[in-house]
Amino acid sequence: MADQPPESGAWALPAFDGHHPPEKELIDDCVHCGFCLPTCPTYLLWGEEMDSPRGRIYLMDVGLSGGPLNDEMARHFDQCLGCMACVTACPSGVQYDKLIEATRQQVERRYPRSRRDRAFRALVFKLFPYPRRLRLLRGPVRLYQKAGLRALLERSGLVRLLPDRLGSMQALLPDLGPMEKVPELTPAAGQRRGRVGILVGCVQSVFFPQVNAATARVLAADGCEVVAPPEQGCCGALSMHAGREAEAQRFARRTIDVFEAAEVDAVVVNAAGCGSSMKEYGHLLRDDPGYAERAARFSARVRDVSEFLAELEPAAERHPLPVKVAYHDACHLAHAQGIRKPPRDGLRAVPGLELREIDEPEICCGSAGIYNLVEPDPARELGARKAAKVLATGADLLVTSNPGCLLQIRASLERTGEHLPMAHVVEVLDASIQGEPARSLLARVAGRGQGRLS
Amino acid sequence: MTVGAVANDPPGGRMPEREPGAGREGAFGPPDGTVLEAGPDDAVDGARAKWLAQPSSTTETAEVLRAAHEAGLRTVVRGGGTKLGWGNPPAGVGLVLSTARLGRVLEHAAGDLVTRVEAGVRLADLQAELAPAGQLLGLDPPEAGATVGGVVAANASGPRRLRYGTVRDLLIGITVVLADGTVAHSGGKVVKNVAGYDLGKLFAGSLGTLGVIVEANFRLHPVPAASAVVTAEVAAPGQVGAAVRALLASALVPSAVELDWPSADGPGVLTVLFEGIGPGVATQAAATARLLVHAGTPGARVLDGAEADQATAALGALPWRSGQLGVKVATGPSRLPGALTTVWEVAAVHGLAVRAAAHAGTGVLRAGLDGGDPAAKAAFVTGARERLASAQATLVVTEAPLEVKRAVDAWGPVGDALPLMRRVKERFDPSGLLSPGRFVGGI
Amino acid sequence: MMDRQRLIERMRAVLGAEAVIVERNQLRTYECDGLAAFRVIPALVVLPETTGQVQAAVRACHEEGVPFVARGSGTGLSGGALPLSDGVLIVLSRMRRILEIDYDDQRAVVEPGVINLWVTKEVAPRGYYYAPDPSSQLVCSIGGNVAENSGGAHCLKYGFTTNHVTGLEVVLPDGDLVHLGGKAPDPPGYDLVGAFVGSEGTLGIATKVTLRLLRKPEAVRTLMAAFDGADAAGDAVSKIIAAGIVPAAVEMMDALAMEAAEAAVHVHYPEGAGAVLIVELDGPEAECEQQFEEVERLCLEAGSTTIQIAEDDDQRALFWKGRKSAFAAVGRISPDYYVQDGVIPRTALGAVLRKITDMAEERGLRVANVFHAGDGNLHPLVLYDGDAEGEEERAEELAAEILFACLALGGSITGEHGVGADKKKYLPRQFTADDLDVMQLVRCAFDPDGRCNPGKVFPTPRLCGETPGKRHVHPAEQPGLVEVL
Repeated sequence: MADQPPESGAWALPAFDGHHPPEKELIDDCVHCGFCLPTCPTYLLWGEEMDSPRGRIYLMDVGLSGGPLNDEMARHFDQCLGCMACVTACPSGVQYDKLIEATRQQVERRYPRSRRDRAFRALVFKLFPYPRRLRLLRGPVRLYQKAGLRALLERSGLVRLLPDRLGSMQALLPDLGPMEKVPELTPAAGQRRGRVGILVGCVQSVFFPQVNAATARVLAADGCEVVAPPEQGCCGALSMHAGREAEAQRFARRTIDVFEAAEVDAVVVNAAGCGSSMKEYGHLLRDDPGYAERAARFSARVRDVSEFLAELEPAAERHPLPVKVAYHDACHLAHAQGIRKPPRDGLRAVPGLELREIDEPEICCGSAGIYNLVEPDPARELGARKAAKVLATGADLLVTSNPGCLLQIRASLERTGEHLPMAHVVEVLDASIQGEPARSLLARVAGRGQGRLS
Repeated sequence: MTVGAVANDPPGGRMPEREPGAGREGAFGPPDGTVLEAGPDDAVDGARAKWLAQPSSTTETAEVLRAAHEAGLRTVVRGGGTKLGWGNPPAGVGLVLSTARLGRVLEHAAGDLVTRVEAGVRLADLQAELAPAGQLLGLDPPEAGATVGGVVAANASGPRRLRYGTVRDLLIGITVVLADGTVAHSGGKVVKNVAGYDLGKLFAGSLGTLGVIVEANFRLHPVPAASAVVTAEVAAPGQVGAAVRALLASALVPSAVELDWPSADGPGVLTVLFEGIGPGVATQAAATARLLVHAGTPGARVLDGAEADQATAALGALPWRSGQLGVKVATGPSRLPGALTTVWEVAAVHGLAVRAAAHAGTGVLRAGLDGGDPAAKAAFVTGARERLASAQATLVVTEAPLEVKRAVDAWGPVGDALPLMRRVKERFDPSGLLSPGRFVGGI
Repeated sequence: MMDRQRLIERMRAVLGAEAVIVERNQLRTYECDGLAAFRVIPALVVLPETTGQVQAAVRACHEEGVPFVARGSGTGLSGGALPLSDGVLIVLSRMRRILEIDYDDQRAVVEPGVINLWVTKEVAPRGYYYAPDPSSQLVCSIGGNVAENSGGAHCLKYGFTTNHVTGLEVVLPDGDLVHLGGKAPDPPGYDLVGAFVGSEGTLGIATKVTLRLLRKPEAVRTLMAAFDGADAAGDAVSKIIAAGIVPAAVEMMDALAMEAAEAAVHVHYPEGAGAVLIVELDGPEAECEQQFEEVERLCLEAGSTTIQIAEDDDQRALFWKGRKSAFAAVGRISPDYYVQDGVIPRTALGAVLRKITDMAEERGLRVANVFHAGDGNLHPLVLYDGDAEGEEERAEELAAEILFACLALGGSITGEHGVGADKKKYLPRQFTADDLDVMQLVRCAFDPDGRCNPGKVFPTPRLCGETPGKRHVHPAEQPGLVEVL
């Protein structure tokens, strides 16, 4: 029985259409215990039921029972970071990840966004999933940074005149170093233990190509033949997490095609968000008879790089790296994939490395895909919260497994005038395998701060 | 028509006089097994009562109170009579209701660590009844001969409150009779119970102003198998502060931390009692001696055998005798040394000698003052209260000559909750017949 | 009849628009607390951030003649925060600051929206903790704990919320502010703190809570002992108590409860165990060690088949995680379930469990049991399938019958979850009409207009305008028989 449409604002009635609405059965798994509340970043920020997993599930149920998808409801769904800390916390096993995914798709399809909102999202999705377009920006962005235009914009305060979201976008841009390409084929060192493909990604390949290069080296050092198919593109993670179903499916199909052709034992991913999405291709393409089975098989072969290295067990010697490291759990690695121990084990295997835990590890840094672009205010608050906790560890180096997190935390630190060298897990392992001195590693990655040249 | 009025108005206001009901005071009686004419020994703070009732059951208690209510008789409850002098003198007494014949231990469920007792049972007798099963009630107030009902109504406590808590932490159920004879229960005989409101907490310490306690249920503890005692001489309150801070911040679990200071001119003695099993108390006592030495009390030592027994027996003794001024200052462990200093200073101003005994672990100081006339004692109370107010400390007069009690309010200021307390009193005893005038704000 | 629009404007004026929720879908997310079976959409929800704002909101309600209900994290299991359709829901979740910590006197002052576990987390680095530990402690609020006098597994040794609250700042139902108790012990006057804690939000709204902190014990030892059945497990507990040992916690789970917890947490309960006991001792090392060995021996004496001893904090945490997740985890072995909360004298455990098994069999339902074996608080989880014909009704009936069985054995209808909306109809089974009447005298003193969380706890509200007087005429006082005693 449908309710009345609201008197003002945008809305869709009924809230959901018949194409994969959030499942009632999954919703009914929720017993309303509230264990998810203290682990939800938006509940921590605002203390309102509607911006908690329990409340959002409730709203989904309201939608299923005929309530309109109105401005408020859409906003509460939009404000969910999709960090899935609630999935980790829930004792009843509610699959909130599936619920929010289905709901976001409904919102994308049915809820009439404002023109500004639509325009901004269009911009984001015309840009970020396309490494070539992103790469084209590198020149002008480097120029902008090197020519001191950014520093000028920031010092003069003109940056505040930029529309909020563009402002945060520019704040997130790291200093770009020289472009480092990953070879199409990297032979295994010593005895070949397998052949793997790596996803070079979009943001990763353009902004942190060193991470991809390091990934290939480390895998090769531990005995893998590494293939980086040049035809690969975006894995579709950003689209999937934003509920843009058709777009995500297109990217997924292409990715499956490319890696199937490469004939690899496993597809290794160094970006937590991407790996998490690729493990769900089976679910994403379940309606496509031509891809459903292939996607499921593909997903079963996807591994996060830390996960894969742990399964493989180290072959190359790890040389000492006496450095105090704070390890940050990316949500899409810890919550979505349940991978917490392997990256820590990998780091602990480095002699001399001291691993420090960050307080509140389960709380998202605020990156959350494109969240810090479309919801800059809560993202900023969460970023500040995480930055403070990171600094409190007294570590020399922050290590994470996701480029988004790295960008977000770095930007948050710099907003308070702080700096901390940051690196991906594989960069640390790479440095250790190569015998790079700690000082050198730190100096090299420190230069990723805004406006600071190493 | 007022009955048995006593000519004093406690400062701080008193409950508005209520006209007693039908005023058939003379019709309460004639004397029978339950009701007698009161004698001179039944006076309360100098107020002579007309009648003395000794009901032997809840039903009889209800009947007595109903009749007293009809007759508009002001009623004071008496158990062992050990705390009749607490609070302000009553604004008149028509009936003394004695719980002497409410003397049965109703149940001792040792397997559940629970006991149900009538209010007139003496605490010492209850402990003796529980002991064969190796259990005790964790209350050790110093007043000998006190009854369970009186202990609850006065919220009396002793040194072991540090370990076991006070009445509110041990009472799990209560049966009371209101002024009009209504019988009410709250809680029950299980330790865990959140059904309904907790009237037990409300009645604990209410000094008989809300109703008559006829039955009380308590949770029990096992009797410790062994004990050990550590003492240390202290020369200045600051030393006490450092020692207690160190003790409380450690993982040691003493049953009592007591301070005795017979005279401001001499030293004090800090006594720490451990109770539990043999190895546990021995280890803790040794550790305590070391800790105290380290914290600045070099003479700390573990007592043994007879000395330890003696020290344990003497723990918690009241530092005043009848006729002296006895006050209780409650503040908290960290502020206790300061409170003691204040008490000494104000006492000196008024020419009074102070004997102090404190539950140093919980921050409750008892002081007996002597050597001055009632005016000096009253002035001490006023002066000390003023000085202590800024230290979040309360000063309650527990023992005093009648002239002192007529000059000062026993309780002191109560804060912004007084109107609410009055409203509670008005609901439970609208005619103002129970222990009138004895409580805070003249309630 | 409330003028909703005027009330909304008034609330917006004193709290700010951000703190006032009026849209229907958003209001719906507040229609129930942890007891999802009871739902009422509030007319309005407000989220104050300061004591002054709480006062303003309550005063507005008072002046507009509108009832109100307070809510913390909304995890209560008796519907204590169930809203009123014509009332305001005042949510305290934004008042979540820890205001003050005094390590010397072992006190903390916190706002009501502070989550229980945050207190311990804050003081843990200095070696302290906050003792009351309900299973929902990672989300339930201190304010909620105060309202319900929440317990937890460590009640037998350490008591409940009421034993750990020494002071309260309270907004009374007319908007006035009072301070009850404080940091110092033995405040003169009535123990209104003791009356307030456990009053289920019917006497006012606490805006500051002074808590007692405890020093972390020197040693903690935890074991998990498996038994063939609950009788043997209960026997072990009896032996432990008889030996004069007061464990910090003794928890029992039966086979079904273990099945559920295993599915959620993977504790690795011993296969085939009919019941399992988690016994935790804490205190000074020497004492703890010796008593722990004794407990082990006594469990074996009582017939324990397997004993697992926690080797480190992680394992100990795992034992507890299994126990604390049991309720919600039961959702994995049954489509629906009903958590009951009853108390019996501990020694009656065997008897009540047998009764429950019989009654459950009669109705064709399963009951998983989780039991605070130390203090007699029983949590039967009645499992049912809401989609199956009549099962929900039978489950409700069974849950009620279980409560009556508890009462018959001298227990209570609630040990921790409170009476709330859920159990008020049973309160008269435990107390007489006079008992309930007298309890409500307290309510009349605090809330004479009956606007503070009305409809909770007491089935028959007392009109505070009545003068409490003689309710019974003594038969002997019939005119002409006898005058007075």
